[in-house]
Amino acid sequence: MTAEIWSQVWQFTPTLLWAMLINVQLLLALIALGLVTGVVVALIEVYSPRPLAALALAYEWFFRGVPELVLLFLFYFGLTQMGMDISPFFAAVLALGFRSSGYQSQIFRGAIQSVPPGQLMAAHSLGMGTMKTIRYVILPQALRLSIPPWSNEFSAVFKDTTLAYGIGVVEIVRQARYISVRNFPLTLPVFILVAFMFLVLTYLGNWGLGRLEQRLHVPGLETHAKRGEAREL
Amino acid sequence: MKKMALLVAALVVASGLLGMAEETYVVGSDIAWPPFEWVSEAGDYIGFDLDVMRCIAILEGFEIEIQDIAFDSIIPGVMAGRVDIGASGFTITEERAQVVDFSDPYWTSDQAVVVGIDTEMNVVTALSGGARVGAQRGTTGAAWVEDELEGRGVDVNLILYETYPEAIMDLIAGRLDSVIQDEAPSIQAVDSYPDQLQIAGVIKTYEEFGFLVRSGDPHGLLPRIESGMQKMKDSGAWGNLVEAYFGPTLDAIEAAWEECIDILLEEGDVEAYAQCLAERAAE
Repeated sequence: MTAEIWSQVWQFTPTLLWAMLINVQLLLALIALGLVTGVVVALIEVYSPRPLAALALAYEWFFRGVPELVLLFLFYFGLTQMGMDISPFFAAVLALGFRSSGYQSQIFRGAIQSVPPGQLMAAHSLGMGTMKTIRYVILPQALRLSIPPWSNEFSAVFKDTTLAYGIGVVEIVRQARYISVRNFPLTLPVFILVAFMFLVLTYLGNWGLGRLEQRLHVPGLETHAKRGEAREL
Repeated sequence: MKKMALLVAALVVASGLLGMAEETYVVGSDIAWPPFEWVSEAGDYIGFDLDVMRCIAILEGFEIEIQDIAFDSIIPGVMAGRVDIGASGFTITEERAQVVDFSDPYWTSDQAVVVGIDTEMNVVTALSGGARVGAQRGTTGAAWVEDELEGRGVDVNLILYETYPEAIMDLIAGRLDSVIQDEAPSIQAVDSYPDQLQIAGVIKTYEEFGFLVRSGDPHGLLPRIESGMQKMKDSGAWGNLVEAYFGPTLDAIEAAWEECIDILLEEGDVEAYAQCLAERAAE
């Protein structure tokens, strides 16, 4: 690859960065949805009566078992057929967000279960209700323990945002395709540039999460206990 | 002053109502297949299919919104009612016609065979004798090799690619002997690499392209599309668009498009636009 080709690719960097902004927006929206839903599902799995817990497990099973692209199609075309006018971006947030919640709930469930059960009993003996105990005793520990496996999930779903182009979200891979079909010789360099952008951003994200883990570190609360299964990459 | 404000408010409401009265239809296209549809370096949706749809919309009095969707998602989108018109170089086939309705054909395409510039191969040897032939998955070129060559015992190795540029890159890298694809995109590929590629020959398959709508045509779009195409042919706009898009380089087309498009979008003059585009692109 000659220097001339790279200088040609260079001029597309701003265009690609703008498109990457779409991926970042998708990431933030879907991971926030997955976080909230994931914590709720994990709590239901651990603390609620059988039938409800079974429902939560079924939810997790569904969203972890269906391929991402199929989920995207189900949410985008399926919701339209049910009469809801949903934008491709919003459909992608829902499909990928619920999917991520399936994986995140596993992380949180493992972390919640790694808090010794004696603490719940101790809190009860002090007169604290279960909800209060979860809020002030269990979650502060469990969420801290979840950060390392959660950063895995973060990296994985960030890259999954590129699938959204299948339903018409013009994100970075789609933008790279626009450039490559217009200039065949740039195909490989453009995708190398895209790969580089992802590397930098996932590195920054994981670095930030590492910092967060250090800041929130509580002496004595270590991750030697059974940790939630990290999602396989 | 108050009267002014009221008047302005009334105008705003009225224009809103007028806007509502004009129907808007979503046109789905996989905008990555020049010269039928691609994204210009300025970031505009441009191409023969898209300009034809824009002209028809003006002539028939409806609004369109062009949406870029992956090729495989367009027909599911039309079936789900998400997309109203599919305009993406769709070959009319029986399988597709079972799930969507096609307009009259608007284009006849043949398959071109692209080979390296210093090969001794001709169109026959490039497709036989164990030749490695590349094609894009799901295209009629790939189907033709499967049905007419492999299916009839000709010795070829068909290698399928997700996109057309990948096949061309592999041809240049020497991993393929030839690539089969529709004629117009093939010409664009050879133009991109004039000192490395050439067209060995064209296979007359006479495939017909059509615009497609949901089965049963619930919005009554097909008659309007066909009447719009007829008006364009009668006025000469059609011929000018063909001349503008099939021949000149992509750079020339883009420059011409930027210069002329306001005639279409602002003034709504289909004839003058097509003439402007053909003249500027030829320069």
